[in-house]
Amino acid sequence: MKKKILIIGGLIAVSPLLFSFCGFYVSKADGTLKNKTSQVILVRDGNKNVITMYNDFKGDTKDFAMVVPVPVVLRKNDIKVVDQSIFQKLNDYSAPRLVEYWDQNPCSEYKNLDKALSGKVSGVQLNEVTVSSGYGIKRSSVKIEAKYLVGEYDILILSAKESSGLKNWLNENGYKIPANAAEVLDPYIKSNLKFFVVKVNEKEKQKLNNNFLRPIQISFNSPKFMLPIRLGMANADGDQDLIVYAFTRKGRIECTNYRNVDIASNKNIPLFVQKNFGAFYGNLFTHQWTNEDKSVAFLEYAWNVTPVNPMKCDPCVGNPPTEQDLVQSGVWWLNGKDWNDYSDIDNDEPDDGNRNVHFTRLHFRYNRKSFAQDLMFQVTPNTENFQARYIITHPATGSFNCDAGRKYLVDLKQRRKKELVQLTELTGTNINNWQDDATAKNDELVNTEVQYATLLPIVKEDMINKSEMPVGIILLSGAILAGAGFMKWKGLI
Amino acid sequence: MQSAKPFHPNGKSAVMFLSRLCKDARYFQILFQSIFLVYGILYLHWANEDWLYSIYFITSLITQFICELAFGKKDIPVWQRYKKGIPSVLISSFGLSLLLKTNLVWVAIMAAVVSIVSKYIIRINGKHIFNPSALGIVVAVFFTGNAWISPGQWGSGAVILFGVLSLGFVVTTRVQKLDVSLAFLGTFAALLFARQIIYLGWPMDHFIQSVSTGSLLLFSFFMITDPKTTPNHMGVRIVWSAAIAAVAFYLTAFKFINGAPILVLVLAQPLVPLLDKFFKAKNFEWVPSKKYTVQEKKFLQTVYSRFSM
Repeated sequence: MKKKILIIGGLIAVSPLLFSFCGFYVSKADGTLKNKTSQVILVRDGNKNVITMYNDFKGDTKDFAMVVPVPVVLRKNDIKVVDQSIFQKLNDYSAPRLVEYWDQNPCSEYKNLDKALSGKVSGVQLNEVTVSSGYGIKRSSVKIEAKYLVGEYDILILSAKESSGLKNWLNENGYKIPANAAEVLDPYIKSNLKFFVVKVNEKEKQKLNNNFLRPIQISFNSPKFMLPIRLGMANADGDQDLIVYAFTRKGRIECTNYRNVDIASNKNIPLFVQKNFGAFYGNLFTHQWTNEDKSVAFLEYAWNVTPVNPMKCDPCVGNPPTEQDLVQSGVWWLNGKDWNDYSDIDNDEPDDGNRNVHFTRLHFRYNRKSFAQDLMFQVTPNTENFQARYIITHPATGSFNCDAGRKYLVDLKQRRKKELVQLTELTGTNINNWQDDATAKNDELVNTEVQYATLLPIVKEDMINKSEMPVGIILLSGAILAGAGFMKWKGLI
Repeated sequence: MQSAKPFHPNGKSAVMFLSRLCKDARYFQILFQSIFLVYGILYLHWANEDWLYSIYFITSLITQFICELAFGKKDIPVWQRYKKGIPSVLISSFGLSLLLKTNLVWVAIMAAVVSIVSKYIIRINGKHIFNPSALGIVVAVFFTGNAWISPGQWGSGAVILFGVLSLGFVVTTRVQKLDVSLAFLGTFAALLFARQIIYLGWPMDHFIQSVSTGSLLLFSFFMITDPKTTPNHMGVRIVWSAAIAAVAFYLTAFKFINGAPILVLVLAQPLVPLLDKFFKAKNFEWVPSKKYTVQEKKFLQTVYSRFSM
């Protein structure tokens, strides 16, 4: 039991989230701010952008304030508040999934039935962690470009000539900002970014009669397709998780200044992982993130979610987003011609009335060391579907007193051994860590010799004896073979 | 002085192999590009399916053969002409494989066909105008809209590999056209430094990440260097590649265009025949036709005697 706790503990410890993705929460009091993994929805077509920022601030709303760098001065029409549930829906729909299959007893009457696919799947829950705030200093000189009241929020758009001015303005108005935020504010100011400052209007908030803050959605025209994460790192040392849900007309989005990697998918894993799928995926993510040198964008989901496309997932973890959900997320092209700023019409690609919607889910885990730059993206014409999918298979039940049955048991044993090896390879954990899970009383009705508990020591033995061939050797021998083949062909050897 | 082994330019030995390899830089280029591709597939886990690479190679090889039949000089047997052109075909196929991504078979085929056919059709004064793979990439990405370049696909861990291999490439090919690479890379990096560090005030690692992308290094050492499509005159060549760097920097930093260097290169290549007309210099040949000088022979002798021991 102790080992299992260690694994889960490890998962939470690696993702201490301190600030939100873009912009930092600033606090008036020293109260503890609570926040989950940051989530953001990006919608992009041509030069048009819609960004929706999830807001799950848990402290006293009087203390809430958020600063987000934006490329243009937003107008009131460009700012909206949207229903919070949209994030939950998108997460449920696109989260890594566990699928279950059932073996049929080869000795039974229903031999010709294939493995049955179940619709029962479970998603991964996002970790909950804590946010804390920093300390600040004093003075002033900053231009307020615009001032709006939108929903429960008071919104200011600031422009500044120098970072100290902005920093001082924020401080004079009672916000504490991270002491070293200036180092990133400067480049933003010189890149001509504006600052979108949000706080809660208590009067409006009380009218709403709910105890959460709704997500803010902003729309603007800009050739820049990016997320400013550097500001959020101003005072954070730890790793922060960010999930990006993106919608485009053309295809997947990908990160242009970090490596894009597909998360390991379509792997067969032992049955007992079902009980602890969240921890399994957390371990898998951490392991792959470390192996890929951390500075990577992980693809967790990519699918054509066009309202008329009948197959939205295979299988679905949550309900696919409806047309209404998509419009709510900011996919304006489903909602008639609803875009409200055609001022840069020169750069505007003709709207061909195409109603395609491609959904991409990217997962980042960033820290100051591995992510020196903000996240830059591009829309690609890549329309291939992808999902993070893990497979468990329930064994057949009954007696196996026929030839096919005995063969089935042999195969099952082999398969389960492979699953155990797969589990340790995917999660980078020692096989001993899974001892408790494997030996826990499982609801499987199979012979002792094919139970995970029996197979685990055998696999352990095998793994000790097996010497792994490093990638370097494969690489080198590949190159040598290619070279040799080439020389042979040229008649040089 | 009989202590060193005599130098046999026609001997069937390692000496022979090395001397041929040294004379024709394309073999090195193929070797390095294949290492990059293997590294990308095995180590960086590129998600492309293998069919894409197969299409680039097979289509290019077939197209080359058809083009030789249609446009080649008729006095030499077609098979011999074809064999001679194969290294170039492999280089452009590797160029496509390393940079161009697509989901669609027809786009992949078209890119390969465009790159090979352009060598035969678009020529002035016996030189083809466009770098074959650069043209294929530009047509596929900017005209069909169904292909893309992934600038981030190398990550930053690939820098050391690239550094070592590129340096090796440069050294082994006896500093051919290093001027082009350095002028391009130097100008591009200097402009980026001026903007990111001096003007915007980002920390150093921000700048280092920008210049250490594999795509940029691949472009500067293996694409812009193509001697057939660069000006012959050295001074002109340096100014030409520096200008490409400046325009590419502008498009990258202010217009947010991905793959700007390749686009600018393709747009700049039609200028090359014009520049060659005004600034006369010797045409480049992959395999130098001149005999070795006495000093060179001596040098090769000492080098090769070690290998043939």
